[in-house]
Amino acid sequence: MPSVGTLAFDEFGRPVLILKGQDSKKRLFGIEAHKSHILAGKAVADTLKTSLGPRGMDKCMVSPDGDITITNDGATILSMMHVENEIGKLLVQLSKSQDDEIGDGTTGVVVLAGALLEQAEALLDKGIHPIRIADGYELAAKIALDHLEKISETYPLDLKKLDPLINTAMTTLGSKIVNRCQRQMAEIAVNAILNVADMERRDVNFELIKVQGKVGGRLEDTLLVKGVVVDKTFSHPQMPKQVQNAKIAILTCPFEPPKPKTKHKLDITTVEDYNKLREYEKEKFTEMIKSIKDSGANLVICQWGFDDEANHLLLSHELPAVRWVGGPEIELIAIATGGRIVPRFQELTAEKLGFAGRIRELDFGTTGDHMLCIEECKKSNTCTIFVRGGNKMVVEEAKRALHDALCVVRNLVRDNRIVYGGGACEIACAIEVAKEANKIPTIEQYAIRAFADALESVPLALAENSGFSPIKTVSDIKSQQIAQKNPRLGVDCLNKGINDMKSQSVIETLIGKRQQISLATQLVRMILKIDDIRLPGESED
Amino acid sequence: MKPMIVILKDGTDSSQGKPQVLSNISACQAVAEAIRTTLGPRGMDKLIVDKRGKATISNDGATILKLLEVVHPAARTLVDIAKSQDAEVGDGTTSVVLLAAEILKSTRTFIEDGMHPTIVIRAVRKATALATEKIREISINVKKDDAKEQKLLLEKCARTTLNSKLIARQREFFAKMVVDAVLMLDDLLPLNMIGIKKVTGGSLEESRLVAGVAFKKTFSYAGFEMQQKKYSNPKIALLNIELELKAERDNAELRLDNVAEYQKIVDAEWTILYDKLEKLHRAGVNVVLSKLPIGDVATQYFADREMFCAGRVQDDDLKRTQKACGGAIVTTVENLDEKSHQIFGTCDLFEEIQIGSERYNFFTGCPRAKTATMILRGGAEQFIDEVERSLHDAIMIVRRAVKNDAIVAGGGAIEMALSRTLREYSRTVAGKEQMIIAAYAKAFEIIPRQLCENAGFDATNILNKLRQKHAEDNIWFGVDVTHEDVSDNYTSAVWEPAIVKINAITAASEAACLILSIDETVKVPKSSSEISNAAKAMNMD
Repeated sequence: MPSVGTLAFDEFGRPVLILKGQDSKKRLFGIEAHKSHILAGKAVADTLKTSLGPRGMDKCMVSPDGDITITNDGATILSMMHVENEIGKLLVQLSKSQDDEIGDGTTGVVVLAGALLEQAEALLDKGIHPIRIADGYELAAKIALDHLEKISETYPLDLKKLDPLINTAMTTLGSKIVNRCQRQMAEIAVNAILNVADMERRDVNFELIKVQGKVGGRLEDTLLVKGVVVDKTFSHPQMPKQVQNAKIAILTCPFEPPKPKTKHKLDITTVEDYNKLREYEKEKFTEMIKSIKDSGANLVICQWGFDDEANHLLLSHELPAVRWVGGPEIELIAIATGGRIVPRFQELTAEKLGFAGRIRELDFGTTGDHMLCIEECKKSNTCTIFVRGGNKMVVEEAKRALHDALCVVRNLVRDNRIVYGGGACEIACAIEVAKEANKIPTIEQYAIRAFADALESVPLALAENSGFSPIKTVSDIKSQQIAQKNPRLGVDCLNKGINDMKSQSVIETLIGKRQQISLATQLVRMILKIDDIRLPGESED
Repeated sequence: MKPMIVILKDGTDSSQGKPQVLSNISACQAVAEAIRTTLGPRGMDKLIVDKRGKATISNDGATILKLLEVVHPAARTLVDIAKSQDAEVGDGTTSVVLLAAEILKSTRTFIEDGMHPTIVIRAVRKATALATEKIREISINVKKDDAKEQKLLLEKCARTTLNSKLIARQREFFAKMVVDAVLMLDDLLPLNMIGIKKVTGGSLEESRLVAGVAFKKTFSYAGFEMQQKKYSNPKIALLNIELELKAERDNAELRLDNVAEYQKIVDAEWTILYDKLEKLHRAGVNVVLSKLPIGDVATQYFADREMFCAGRVQDDDLKRTQKACGGAIVTTVENLDEKSHQIFGTCDLFEEIQIGSERYNFFTGCPRAKTATMILRGGAEQFIDEVERSLHDAIMIVRRAVKNDAIVAGGGAIEMALSRTLREYSRTVAGKEQMIIAAYAKAFEIIPRQLCENAGFDATNILNKLRQKHAEDNIWFGVDVTHEDVSDNYTSAVWEPAIVKINAITAASEAACLILSIDETVKVPKSSSEISNAAKAMNMD
């Protein structure tokens, strides 16, 4: 009886309309609502389950426009799935906020939330009040987080020894398509972060790292440019392809006679006037070129375009130039080369020029595409990762993978405590939570035990995706962990023959894991708290 | 159905007399039913999807009723009292609706038995007066002069409010935050001086209170990244000026007949902008905030001179900055110079900080910090939205409690005390009113009853225990939700400001009286719904 309470009858037995369009509105109430939420949550989580871990599979998503995306990044999959269900949308947001904050573990967080919901279903069937389940989960999450802290290890963050950082980045990249050149990618990510990291404030400004992709070549050709790469070429084919010791004038004004912003009209009535205008324009051009020459610049980068006349003039004055460079790129170039952005020719002076040791045009295969690479800059704390790959899908996926790796390294810079991956820390927490559960006097005990079971869903999925018998593998590891008191044992996804994640160097950041557990718990609480859903009905016409 | 004589326009819905009163009562019952389960710490949330597909998850009575789109005229009264409770005290919106519906329900039998509604109304009014008087009498005043004590009191009130919300687990944390925020304000406690900013991602505990102002980085042009992002003791200019190259007048048109003048016009336009910029620079300003856009030229100008700027700052953010840092929002820079100190604001530290994936501008250590900003973190968007609503309730309660330091115990305790007083009083009254006041007294029991029902307790059992305790003059005994029992809620610090209860009881009784006094509804079809509009349109064809 889903619509009880909204339909009232008056003394003549006629129904009274209380809510607008109430007969077309859908309503789910009580335990029905809980069940439907859990089903929706589980369905979303199940989609992602197979993407978890180094042996996880990718998903292929085709957008309404026919664009194809192939990825195994949880956040990307969910956002492209266009989930309709409200609870499903919550999970999508969950994964997105993990992505925003940590950048990695977007699949894991959804799998965990799905498992928690699944466990909650059984508890609801037992007749436990949903809020008490949620309370129990939160208690358990606290135990798990405390335990995580206990088993975490401080990681040596030494700028000279990059290996530890690279190992962490490799763990992240392990599950991605780029794991063919895992090591190389990891090194790129670590170098890029260290290049821009502000070690004093433990802060990393992501806007200084640009990831550029170009189809063609092999993944192995991916490289890190300590400087800027822009998808532009010199404006004139006869300009030199390489400039050494470039002094760069960075302009945001067009290479044309200045125009007032106010609407204007120039009345030309005589031939004389016309000639004058021509003279004026010509004069302006030479003036501009002169001011650049005077400042000592030998390269011009312009945000706007310039016509052939200006182009020709620049060439004849031996000033290589680049036109139509976008705002963010201009900014990056300015930061990298230590130059200032100049809005007017009048303001161009020698001190405002940027400096780069080498600027060259890169060309690729037979496509005739060119890119401009600005290197050896004065302040080289901006960098560009230049991704190559066989096709667009690979390049895009590689970019996402690198983003994840960058995030992980950044998190380590922020907080250098780590836990071991491969499900090791989940199992360790599950053991601890299950142990603590027995000490709780109230019925929250059941929820806490359920939480422990849910935590095991991550190693279970890992084992399953790797082709092991999931239950056997996880129970083996569990017993070993207890017997050896070693929280570093996890699922040996890559069949290396050892379970110790430390020697396999499968490492995850502590803040990433913490975030996963606390976000998933919060969301599950929110879902469990809902006992009434009202949906607008389909419009009748 | 009986044949009827048509007097009014066809389709006009008119019903009258006793059946009308009774049908109105049923309608109100149906509305109360919709939010019944949200009451109390074990109350559940509702998920409501509106026509545009936006989902809201809430536990706040007023919010839910607003989204339900109630059209029944009598039932709308209940929505209105929920809204007015929300506007007046901010919390207790669910209880006010429940109470009104319960009063109606308990008087229903009298109407059915043929008692005249006005007699019922008179008795209800009398009982209300008695009840409010009783609250005033038994409420406990807490000394205001002891700042520490007052803070403790406020925190307890905030905690009671937050108890029923999604963030119940973190109530200690948020209660402290809310109280700190409110105490930072000036004596008038203006609500709009507490800014709440939401950043998805992170865990709830990462939310924080900033003594001062924080707002999201505004849209910026190239050159922004080169600006300095940290100043101590900056001079802050708050402007309402466009710092952009633009046409001075939109409809103006310049007619030039001479090429030479062309350049002059261009120069003039630049000079206008540069004058403004130079004035700011010469006045020694470090941070420029403007409500209107700050263009790329200005951004680069400021970057060149080590100044920070942000354009398109939200109006309320700018006003709060002004409150916090002092200074004035100016609409011209004409008269600025180094001497005009009072125009500029200042603070100890200005900094741009990354929070989650967003960057925020922080102004902290303000000399006149009569403003506070809460930065909320949490998983999904709906989650933070609900947290914001909960905090809003808590802030309102704390504001009320600061002004009005009389408190009563919550958890149904005060309702039981009132119920007992009124019941005892009713026995001293002769005539029909006796029964009505007794019924009114019973209506108060709905609050503890619902608390028990939502928590899954045996309501009758708990209520009997409560009645017994209250008969023994233990006036502060209420439901103890955590232990499934009754307890002294004054000592266990479940406190609510007395004013909340007074307001709720008055509003509920007034609404009940209003509904009881209606004996005829004439509903003209034109305004009733679109369907009849459509029907009319069809007739016209």
